Amino acid sequence: MLMIADLHKEVRVGFRRRKVEILKGVDLEVFEGDVFGLLGPNGAGKTTTVKTVVGLMRPTSGTVDLGVAGRQQIGYLPENPYFYDYLSGREFLGLCGRLFGQSGGARRGHVEALLADVGLEGAGDLHLRKYSKGMLQRIGIAQALINDPQLVLLDEPMTGLDPVGRLEVKRIIDRLRERGRTVLFNSHILADVAELCTRIAIMADGRVRWQGRVADALAESPEGLDAFFMKVVQR
Amino acid sequence: MTRLYAVALNTFKETIRDRILGVIVVFALLMIVASLWLGSISLGQEARMMKDLGLVAVSLFGLVVAVFVGASLLHKEIEKRTVFVILSKPVGRAQFIFAKFLGLAVTLACVLAGMGLFLFLADWIVAGSPAPLLLAATALIYLQLLVIVAVTMALSTVTSTILASVLGITVFAAGQLSRSALSLTEFGQSAAMKGLAWVVYVVIPNLNAVDVKPAVVGESSPDWALIAAWAGYLGAYAVLALVLASWLFSRKEF
Repeated sequence: MLMIADLHKEVRVGFRRRKVEILKGVDLEVFEGDVFGLLGPNGAGKTTTVKTVVGLMRPTSGTVDLGVAGRQQIGYLPENPYFYDYLSGREFLGLCGRLFGQSGGARRGHVEALLADVGLEGAGDLHLRKYSKGMLQRIGIAQALINDPQLVLLDEPMTGLDPVGRLEVKRIIDRLRERGRTVLFNSHILADVAELCTRIAIMADGRVRWQGRVADALAESPEGLDAFFMKVVQR
Repeated sequence: MTRLYAVALNTFKETIRDRILGVIVVFALLMIVASLWLGSISLGQEARMMKDLGLVAVSLFGLVVAVFVGASLLHKEIEKRTVFVILSKPVGRAQFIFAKFLGLAVTLACVLAGMGLFLFLADWIVAGSPAPLLLAATALIYLQLLVIVAVTMALSTVTSTILASVLGITVFAAGQLSRSALSLTEFGQSAAMKGLAWVVYVVIPNLNAVDVKPAVVGESSPDWALIAAWAGYLGAYAVLALVLASWLFSRKEF
């Protein structure tokens, strides 16, 4: 489905506009129906890769083939999401529905179903400024699913959540897998990745160092995914 | 169209729910009331003083909203990263800029309509007869402020909120004087100075051309055909500023 080939990204930083290469030729393939974990230490280029896929950044070179009909079929949850805090959860999802051209009754139906799906049906009229971190993460996932996307990209969906919040997010990802959606998510929490993902890629220093099935990674490193991850990153 | 409406509606909600807007409107109404009092102590000039000061209040407080809200609209979206959510959806960058502008234009319309009507009614009570020109003057101030919003938004794509605000106020002030720049071309011999004066006259929006305050206080009679032509020029100027803002914004990465 999603195919990234030889993706490079350079940015200019500082007063002297020094060039820094963030992505140094990323190759990645995500198959339809995968729950795909994109792993790597901080600064590996995971978020830049995802931002390039959704069009928030432009690649310096290389190609991104979404495998779906443009942004109409993509759902995206940014890292540490912050939403319009003067809107209620219901208003916010309504806004997102309108951005996909949904109108009237259909949009309202979608919004109510999603609020129920992420367990926020009782908090739909509450302003987002009153939401907890876990509630924000769940409304963030709901906005990413408003268009019933084929490809869902979640940037650190479990960061900062307590165990209950993590469990709720894992349940949502599980439900997406059951419905045959393709999910790619970044995470530092390898236990969650081992539990949820069918395939993973490990990035370091702007490149993909390893990608394949979780079962293959575990076969190669019986001590667990943490040990495999360290081995790949330190290569 | 639905997307444009969605972002514009959201911007309207964002600005209208901002408490600072309420504070600005209250101050504006207080200043209009103060102009009533000033009118009462200016012998024989009550109605004139009130109209004059009232329109200045509408203009200044409208400018505060246009510049400070206009300059922060895009910065807030970027700083708070709410723009990630919008631009990862099928919304074009130009569509986003025009929609943000439309949202603020509706808020500004509400603010100016409130202030303009308040001034019109207060003047009616004091003067004993209605002065519909006050409403026309308010509508033309609104047009001037739309140009300033578009210019400030374009500036805010390349500078900080504070600098964009200061530059927005500067353009507003210069726009009141741009006709004076043209009169400079009639004096002196230096071709360079004449050229510079022409450049200033063309680049700075001629906001003064739609100022009907002298007509409101009875100093002149307005040439509506000419005002309509200048209004068209200002509309085109605002569209050009928004096209520039869209181009600058489309080059941004997040």
